[in-house]
Amino acid sequence: MTGRAGPAIRRHRNRRAAGAALVAVAAALGVAAGTGAGPAAPATPAAAEVGPAAPATPLAIRRPDCATHCSPATAGPARAAAPTRVRVPRIAVDARLETLGVDAAGALVPPADFAAAGWYAGGPAPGDPGPAVIAGHLDSRDGPAVFARLAELRPGDRVLVSRGDRVVPFRVNGTLRAAKRRFPTAAVYGPTPGPELRLVTCGGDFDRRTGHYRDNVVVFAVAEPAV
Amino acid sequence: MHPLRTASRRLLVPAGALLLAAGSAVAAAVAAATAVAGPAHAAPVGYVRLAHLSPDTPAVDVYLAAPGRGEPQIFPGVGYGVVSAYLPLPAGRYAVAMREAGVPADEPPVLTTEVAVSGGAAYTVAGVGRHADLGLRVLTDDLSAPAPGHAKVRVVQASVRAPVLDVAAAGGPPVATGVRFATTTDYQQVEPGRLRLRLSSTGGQTTDAEVTLAAGAVYSLLVLDAERGGLTTELRQDAAGGAVVVPSGGVDTGAGGRAGPPAYPMVVGGLAVAALAAGLVLLRRRGCG
Repeated sequence: MTGRAGPAIRRHRNRRAAGAALVAVAAALGVAAGTGAGPAAPATPAAAEVGPAAPATPLAIRRPDCATHCSPATAGPARAAAPTRVRVPRIAVDARLETLGVDAAGALVPPADFAAAGWYAGGPAPGDPGPAVIAGHLDSRDGPAVFARLAELRPGDRVLVSRGDRVVPFRVNGTLRAAKRRFPTAAVYGPTPGPELRLVTCGGDFDRRTGHYRDNVVVFAVAEPAV
Repeated sequence: MHPLRTASRRLLVPAGALLLAAGSAVAAAVAAATAVAGPAHAAPVGYVRLAHLSPDTPAVDVYLAAPGRGEPQIFPGVGYGVVSAYLPLPAGRYAVAMREAGVPADEPPVLTTEVAVSGGAAYTVAGVGRHADLGLRVLTDDLSAPAPGHAKVRVVQASVRAPVLDVAAAGGPPVATGVRFATTTDYQQVEPGRLRLRLSSTGGQTTDAEVTLAAGAVYSLLVLDAERGGLTTELRQDAAGGAVVVPSGGVDTGAGGRAGPPAYPMVVGGLAVAALAAGLVLLRRRGCG
């Protein structure tokens, strides 16, 4: 995996599995797109391909049989490069992606660079099944930062994430603003039927006592089906 | 000071207009904020999918329409055992109509129902039962993350051949017992990995199914009548990909450079606008002589 760039990527083996799962889901979606409804009677291809997704189990509970079951031969081709760039044409964002992790208290660490956004590597990568999370600053001490205009996004707007040569297109389907202490964790980080994306920045009032904004703005997007 | 008195009277009108304008601006801002915010904890869309779970019912065309919002989405030729992909849909009420495959859309539907979609929730609208007493049922799909290190699975019982069914992992605990035809169990937390499931009907017939469940993922195990007799199963991954380590709380993505001076922004803004308006009025007065 060439994208194993930063020390913050600790669960890269899961990404491989996630890639395999992507193949399975993509196959299922492909069939679904073709028929206008999900896999019909010959659902066996999709069902069969669920197999390689098995190693998506966290390392701690990895089964011994994984050694035979998660061979690189099946998982390999589905692996995609780590996300490197995010573009949001409507608000003129074209930014590099850092790799984000959590701090000792378990909170997401924002990007170090105010001009870059960051992808949370403890969750799925953009384009893999599940909710990929990309966070970016609203502002620095000096002025607007990468996601200064995030709250302007509306349903239908496009977000493009680059992974190596591949660009994964997403379509915004809604936005919410919530107090950080009432952050919608399940909606942001919980399992989803397919590949989705959440863009997160700050919003609301700036609390000078803490030096932080009180709210987060979250933009929700769903991967556009492959044509 | 006669002229000054006129001036202040002249000021009154624009000042009133200004107050009105400021008031409506504030109202607009509040409206915009609530439109963006919505219910604090809900995702902006829900998910709906369709399923044909009636063994002796021929293929159907399914129509999904939001009242007053244009053309319905059509799922043509949905046959027994088909479960569609989830459609992300804005929260609201949707009408579901089912016609036999190929029947024109202007003919009365065989079955209709309504599904109320909440943000963040997922639903399967399923044609269930025998053809003779076919019904549309709205199943709520709980796609929330399973306990850490677990998978979630439920049984969707759509087999007439095994009217009552037990499902258990070989050498493991039961997944579901006494599941009747045309019913669906709640999701159960199970150990992930490769499982051999044994399905036993009250008639004594058993069928084995091998499934692989990933930790953190959510599944529906469909039990169907096989084309050539007996039972068959189909494992559907309903949702997956929740963060392995879920960060706590929000994200501190701002340093306050845009926040402006340390004061009450509304008051400051209001004063600034008032001062500007007063200045404009004075200027205009001077200009008019």
